[in-house]
Amino acid sequence: MDILSGIASTDSALTAQRTRLDVIAQNIANAHTTRGPDGLPYQRRVVSFASEMQRAQQSFGSNGAGLSTVRVSEISNDTTPGQRINDPTSPDADSRGMVTLPNVNLAFEMVDLISASRAYEANLTVAKNSRQMALKTLEIGK
Amino acid sequence: MIEPVANNINYQLARKLLDASVMRQEAIANNIANVDTPGYRRLDVAADFGQTLRAQFAPGATPRAGPLDSLRPRLAVDNTVHSVRPDGNSVELESELMAMGRNRVDHEFLTELVSRNIKQLKMAISGHAA
Repeated sequence: MDILSGIASTDSALTAQRTRLDVIAQNIANAHTTRGPDGLPYQRRVVSFASEMQRAQQSFGSNGAGLSTVRVSEISNDTTPGQRINDPTSPDADSRGMVTLPNVNLAFEMVDLISASRAYEANLTVAKNSRQMALKTLEIGK
Repeated sequence: MIEPVANNINYQLARKLLDASVMRQEAIANNIANVDTPGYRRLDVAADFGQTLRAQFAPGATPRAGPLDSLRPRLAVDNTVHSVRPDGNSVELESELMAMGRNRVDHEFLTELVSRNIKQLKMAISGHAA
């Protein structure tokens, strides 16, 4: 048991949410990238989370509850096709003058951004709270 | 010599509740960490801990310290809340943060209680306030 209760979960969650924020930033930054390194328009990336059993408890009971950490299980590409617009002046236009835009929807990304940063803040609050509780525990008998 | 304080029922109870409040903080930390994990079900201190304590301290019952020794809080999946989210996750960030604030106050109160018990003993030994 850590002196800071649950710090392993909080720590892993901060890292995972941070990764999510980074990926969202990347999506927004590339919202108009019509040619990536592979010559194709940018595809939106999606982060998915999974939890991992961290500490199996002794005397657990039948339901098998235990603490778990969070990790990013996968960063996958969103394969929905991007919007196509007519722009013959673009160097990335095909023979008919059509350009495929990235499938990034700024509204979705902003909503995800808010949700990720709120989750990050909540975990920070937990870390602060755990720290205060540990300090208080250390004061016992003083 | 110090048995009267160590075996004091309130002191024993405060220690057990302190264990439970630290465990609850772990559960809440875990719940908030998994707020975006699909299918995650929230954890809490198992209900039997509180039930056993309530039975021990029911009006008319004579509390004894003996059964408290073997009582240990443990974590369990909280089946009283239902998921309202499409991903099957039963964590609500607001209620977790509220529970954390409440638990923090409980914890401070209990550390204070344990501290005072120890201070009283110190005072009895030294003959003056520490």
